[in-house]
Order: sequence, then C-alpha cells, then structure tokens
Amino acid sequence: MSIQQQTKEAVQYIQSNISTVPTTGLVLGSGLGVLADEIKNPVVLKYEDIPGFPVSTVEGHAGQLVFGELEGMQVAAMQGRFHYYEGYSLQEVTFPIRVMNALGVKRLLVTNAAGGVNHDFEPGDLMIIDDHINWLGDNPLIGKNDAELGPRFPDMSSAYSKGLAKIADEAALSLNIRIQRGTYMANTGPAYETPAEVRMARVLGADAVGMSTVPEVIVAVHGGMEVLGISCISNLAAGMLDQPLSHDEVMDTTSKVQEDFLKLMKETLRRIAREDA
Amino acid sequence: MDAVKTQEAKEYIQSKYSAAPEVGMILGSGLGDLADDIEAATVIPYEDIPHFPVSTVEGHAGRLVLGELEGKTVVAMQGRFHYYEGYSMQEVTFPVRVMKALGAEFLFVTNACGGMQSSFRPGDLMVIEDHINFTGTNPLIGRNDSDLGPRFPDMSQAYDPVLRGKAFQAAETLEIDLKRGVYGGISGPNFLSRAELILLRNVGADVVGMSTVPEVIVAQHAGLRVLGVSCITDMAVGEEIVSISHEEVMETAAKTKPIFISLMKEIVKNT
Repeated sequence: MSIQQQTKEAVQYIQSNISTVPTTGLVLGSGLGVLADEIKNPVVLKYEDIPGFPVSTVEGHAGQLVFGELEGMQVAAMQGRFHYYEGYSLQEVTFPIRVMNALGVKRLLVTNAAGGVNHDFEPGDLMIIDDHINWLGDNPLIGKNDAELGPRFPDMSSAYSKGLAKIADEAALSLNIRIQRGTYMANTGPAYETPAEVRMARVLGADAVGMSTVPEVIVAVHGGMEVLGISCISNLAAGMLDQPLSHDEVMDTTSKVQEDFLKLMKETLRRIAREDA
Repeated sequence: MDAVKTQEAKEYIQSKYSAAPEVGMILGSGLGDLADDIEAATVIPYEDIPHFPVSTVEGHAGRLVLGELEGKTVVAMQGRFHYYEGYSMQEVTFPVRVMKALGAEFLFVTNACGGMQSSFRPGDLMVIEDHINFTGTNPLIGRNDSDLGPRFPDMSQAYDPVLRGKAFQAAETLEIDLKRGVYGGISGPNFLSRAELILLRNVGADVVGMSTVPEVIVAQHAGLRVLGVSCITDMAVGEEIVSISHEEVMETAAKTKPIFISLMKEIVKNT
C-alpha cells in the first residue's frame, strides 16, 4: 500500500474520533510526554489503534496521539515517537508526521533529549535547534516521490523556522530560562557515541547529538510545515566528562528540567496562538 | 530469536569443548596463524556451528579454535565476517554473542588497516584507543534484548584502559614500538578515495579498516572487556596515496606476523 493510501486510512480513523482540525503538531520526546496531560478536552488515540501506525517499544515513551486544546490552540501531540534504532524504516518513523500533515497541521514543534557536544553547554540546558546534520546514512524521502505530498528535492536551507525560533527565544527570555541555540546531529544509535565520534561531531559543526528528530523534520519540511525544534541537553556527550553515560542519567536530567521545558513550550504555544489570532 | 540461536551455537560448541574460555580472540587478516599456537586445540569449522555464517574472503580460514594459549583458556576466531561480504551486522557480530555465552570475559580483536597518519609506517602495530563508526549502520538497531545488554550502551570507554596498559607493557617487554590511535570503521569493500581519506583523518581517525567496529559495539553491549590491536599494512594518507592491492596488504601482514603473534601472546599471558 502506498504511503498516501496508508495516510488516508489513518486520517479517516482519526477524523472519525475528533471534531476539530489540529493546526499544530507536537512531537514529545523523552521526559516531555507529560505536556500532553495538560491538553484540554483531550481525545486520546493509542498508536496501536490507528491504521498504519507502528508501535513504540522504548521505556518512557507512551505511544499515543492526544488531540485537543493547549494554550488556545488545537494541537495533535505525539506522546512517544518512533526511532530508527528500534528497527523501523525511516518511512515508518515519519509516518505520524505525514498523518498530522494530512489532518491539517501547519506547524510542527519537535522536542528531544540530546547529548551536548558544545563545550559551552551544561546538562539541563534547553537548546533551540537552528539547523541539523543528518548523519543517519539514510533519508525518509528515498523512493518514489509523491508530488502531492511535496517536492522531489525539498529545500533544507531553512528547515527550522526563524520566526518560530524567535518566538521560543523571546518566551525563554520572558520566563528567565537559559536557552542555547545550535545544530543537532542525528546518529542512528542505539549505542551512545564514542569520545572519538563526539570529537568528530564537533569538527563537523554539531552542538548536540541525538537519535531522533531529523527524519521527522525532513518529512515535515517536505510536507510544507513550519518547524520549531527544542532539545533538552540531558547530558554532556561521551568523553567530555570523566564518567560513563547511562539512559538513567538522561531520564534523570530530563525530569529535573521538565518543569522549565514545559513552561517554555506552553509560553511558546501561547505566543504563537497570539500571532495566529 | 537471537538468544535461541546463540544458545544453540553455544551448546554445539560445548559438546565439542566443555571448558569455558576466558579470552575470546578475533584473528584478522594474516594473524590466523596465531591459532596454530593454541595447545590441546579443538577446531570447529564455522559451517558446522549452528547459525554461523561462512567466511568468503581469501586469507580468512573460517573456524573456531578452542584450547590453551599462554596458560589461558581461549576461543579464537580464525577468520571473521565482514559487512562488505553482504552479511547483516547481526550476522557479522553473532560470534561475539556466542563467545560471551561460552563464558568469555575478554575480547581481543585484531585487524589489518590502512594508516592515515604520515607518522605511521607499514608494519606498525597500533593499540586502538577508540573508534569512529563510519559504516552507516549499527549492529544494535532493532528490538533490544535486555538479557544481552542495555538499550543504550555507553561507548565512552569501549576499549578497556587496563588492557591497553597491558598491551603497552607487553610491547615494552618485547621492545616493540607500539602505536596508539583511533580506528575508523568503514563498510568497504572498496578502499577509500583520496578525498574520503582526508575527510576521515580530519574528523579524527588515525587508521581505516573494514571490520572491528561492529564487533566491539556488540562486545561492549554484552559487557566484554575489549582490547583492539591493528596491524598497519599499508599507508592511506590521502595526499600521497598510491594504488594498493589486497596482495600487498597480505604481504605486509605476513611480514609483521611473527612480531604481532608474540605481542598478542604476551598480552594473553598477562591478562
């Protein structure tokens, strides 16, 4: 079945369960899933119930789409995402983005937990993604292009909206939250990087490394969506501190900064809603 | 599924050789002869072991040798599986899972590689301090079996610092000028272009080769303590590269073999 056909089936199922059109999509990464709990009049659809959706396998990733109102906007929030390292194809990883796009979502807010590569970063910092480096060795758009979904050769010169980044920056300032800007590099994982790979990432221009986001953003841009990406720097990458990395440390830091991250996301949404009005 | 396959391979091997090996060894191009020094050896061709792929490269024999080396019980791979042969990364690393299941605590990985630093010379031996995975994939992609290891293994010290120290002690004893550096693992099978060699060196790799990295990632996932030693069989300095044949690589590997073998045996003795 073509992606378009699969998307159509997922959209039909979702539309039979919701009564409004979401304008903003949220991809909630490690530790930020709770943002979906604040959605008013939520309609919760489990991934396993949506035709064509893969099912998430990672601890800390719930696996459901939550629709409703958040800070004055109609949102579709992914609580839990799909990762390449889980064994999904990049087409599967990005399928929910296609579905959100087809539902009418015009902008996508993507969050993640990432390792800091930039020496100026500290664990717990939040980083607005200015740009990315696709280091996955793969691309979700490989294959026959469906011109109805987007162009054969999508432009990536401004994948991350400067306007949305500015709004997030101002929101952080108003909340007195320290914010960084930088380039996010996506590696396949699931092994964390070696110190040599972290030095390489720095040489190549990355400020943070992670295992998600990039395929989703490529597909969002292909579909003509405006993108804002925010990383939680949950740890400094391998070799930067004299200690091993653990997933527990990542979850620990993300839960510590969760409050700030939530505040920032909500304030950003509020400001975007104000601009929309 | 993988756990079952590993178990079946392990049971077959144990039916031929019952002692638990302490040290697993992967013998790369030209170092296969080290297995001939293993005493009271039990030799098992890969094709006899359930679920083992079969090696296809010249100079890689393709058998598991179990026995005693320098007073240690070892399991040595004479010949390995390469990604460029068309095996999946899971197949390439399957023997590492089996060695772990047999009881190995250490994994000593050797290989032949190209030297990208002009300070290296063909015939140099190098302790791998760290690696860059440039293969474009990872053997751990897919569902994680937490009985085998963590979902997100730490790679901050993939090459055990204590074992690296032992390698340098052994080199001192044997008066070998042992180098150290970062191994860049590529898919192959073609050698890199000049521009690619310069790129790889610029991002921090000192040598380049087509093996080792997947095995070490899986070993790290499984909690094995890893030592990696490379034989620099040819120079791969992008600015000065001359065409290179597999025969020349094998020739240098053959010349370096006696000293490489004595180094590895000395390290095994002191592990």
